[in-house]
Amino acid sequence: MGHALKWWQTIKISWSNHTAYRMNFFLQVIGPALVFFFVKYNLWSSIYSDESVEIIKGYTLSQMIDYHVWAMIVGLLAKGHSALNLSEDIRLGRISNFLIYPFNFWEFHTASFLSFQILQTIIVSISICIFWSLGILSIPSASILMSGFLYCLFVSCFWYTLQYLTGLVGFWLEETWILRVILEILTAFLSGAIIPLELYPKWFVSILEWTPFPYLTYFPIKTFMGQNSELIASYSVVTIWIIIFCFINHIIWKRGIKLYTGAGM
Amino acid sequence: MKKTVIYSQKLEKKFTSYKKEPGLLGSLKSLFVRNYITKKAVKDFNLDIKQGEIIGLLGPNGAGKTTLMKMFTGIVVPSEGTLKILGYTPSERDRLFRKKIALVMGQKSQLWWDIPAMDSFLLLQRFYEIEESQFQKRIKTMSELLDVDDLLHIHVRKLSLGERMKMELMASLIHSPEIIFLDEPTIGLDLISQENIRNFIKEYHQKNKCTIIVTSHYMADVQALCERLVLIFDGEKTFDGPLSKFETILGKEKNVTFNFSSPQDPTLDLWSSFEAQWDSHKIQVDLRIPEDKLRSVALNIIKDFPVTEFNTEKMPIERVMKTLMKNPQIVKQLNGNNGPHELNGRN
Repeated sequence: MGHALKWWQTIKISWSNHTAYRMNFFLQVIGPALVFFFVKYNLWSSIYSDESVEIIKGYTLSQMIDYHVWAMIVGLLAKGHSALNLSEDIRLGRISNFLIYPFNFWEFHTASFLSFQILQTIIVSISICIFWSLGILSIPSASILMSGFLYCLFVSCFWYTLQYLTGLVGFWLEETWILRVILEILTAFLSGAIIPLELYPKWFVSILEWTPFPYLTYFPIKTFMGQNSELIASYSVVTIWIIIFCFINHIIWKRGIKLYTGAGM
Repeated sequence: MKKTVIYSQKLEKKFTSYKKEPGLLGSLKSLFVRNYITKKAVKDFNLDIKQGEIIGLLGPNGAGKTTLMKMFTGIVVPSEGTLKILGYTPSERDRLFRKKIALVMGQKSQLWWDIPAMDSFLLLQRFYEIEESQFQKRIKTMSELLDVDDLLHIHVRKLSLGERMKMELMASLIHSPEIIFLDEPTIGLDLISQENIRNFIKEYHQKNKCTIIVTSHYMADVQALCERLVLIFDGEKTFDGPLSKFETILGKEKNVTFNFSSPQDPTLDLWSSFEAQWDSHKIQVDLRIPEDKLRSVALNIIKDFPVTEFNTEKMPIERVMKTLMKNPQIVKQLNGNNGPHELNGRN
């Protein structure tokens, strides 16, 4: 009980922190996603405006737009969290406080992630309503919508463990942003966030399925579109990846903390 | 016999870093060739601190005080040696251990900037699992003592440094720790705030009988709070003993300052025998007079010269510290002459 209260209070505090600078938060989270969507919308509209093109790899224009709206939603919901501050906190010695509190650093960080996810869920729900009312997005049934949300939240946990790992590298590297940029770009291309995976060669996609990437965007989109027939397999694969990354993070933390100098204190 | 709460034996911490030449070229070079330097921040450090003591940990910047504090609190892992705090090994960071200690860093905030201090306290209440009635009682007592009851609900970023420091203290003491580590708790504060913080710590210690380790560059802090001093130079312990002993390690002479109504002749024999130091107008002189001659010499000077004011030094510790910092080799000489046992009042 005492432990649950710790988590709850931390989630509340993080919530206040996330929302302390509302405008900044909005611009940081929503801004880039909207701009990216706008570019893709125009790009695909002009490709499909060629009269000879009606269907590309099974996608009509409206399906393609649907795909990209969902890509944006998934981006916000499953991959919104960033551990940008983590490596900086390590480098500048700001995690010292958390080493002293009887609440572990990963617990604090995870609670903060959870509160971020609650906030994202609200933002995404509003976004879906807006897109739907503008007629850009066709809404599936409530059960499919719910299934999509749940799967995205599960994937977000995996994304979180991955982000956490890039943050922990801060024990060794002075700058870790380049790692995150590489990860972002790779994920954008390999997860289906830029173009649907159907557009890649088949052999390439079958290799990709062995990596975590398609599970970060492509499968969540398909779930939202009601086209993920392998939902259980998708959950299982993500579960395995979560376990693997939790294990790696645990080891990396144990080694890294020995190098920690608590600089600047 | 009081129980030992901090015990270290041959404690050592090494830091490894590499030299980097400036500029882009230097950065590129450092990718391939790195000249690693290992620095021992703390060497062969033995310490035994009993429950309820207030210890001043002194030394110049970079001497290793903060590294010691970080090892004591489990933030950094020692490279060698034994360290036990309340029977725990700090670097294992046992939850129970963490509930029994507190660290206050004058240069670093542990409160959340964007929320009122009270919200941080509530979070800490959960972290330390403090019962509601206890929590309310402690907040009330401490906020009254520190006179901050009306600031509890103001965003921390809007508080002044002095006000924030008081909140930091409250945050660290909310769980009634058994050992409190204070790393420069009065740094950057004005004189009144410094005094308030000192008084608070003193009162808190008297009431709670906790053990306190404090580092500070303000000798007034040390004078007011500490009964025992541990001096650290270049990672090594060079003195460990009562404050009164530290004040006299450079000799038992008293420093006395005389002011005169008119300029005096500094060449008289009288002055030279007491290491006189004159100001440029020759109307003020500092003398070092052996304790047993103090009365007679002072009386003679008052009788023979137009003395307008005279006083003995208020904080001999400040002079001792300054002298040692300017000439660190003195410490070694003292240790060499007297043997470390003589100087280290306790080992």
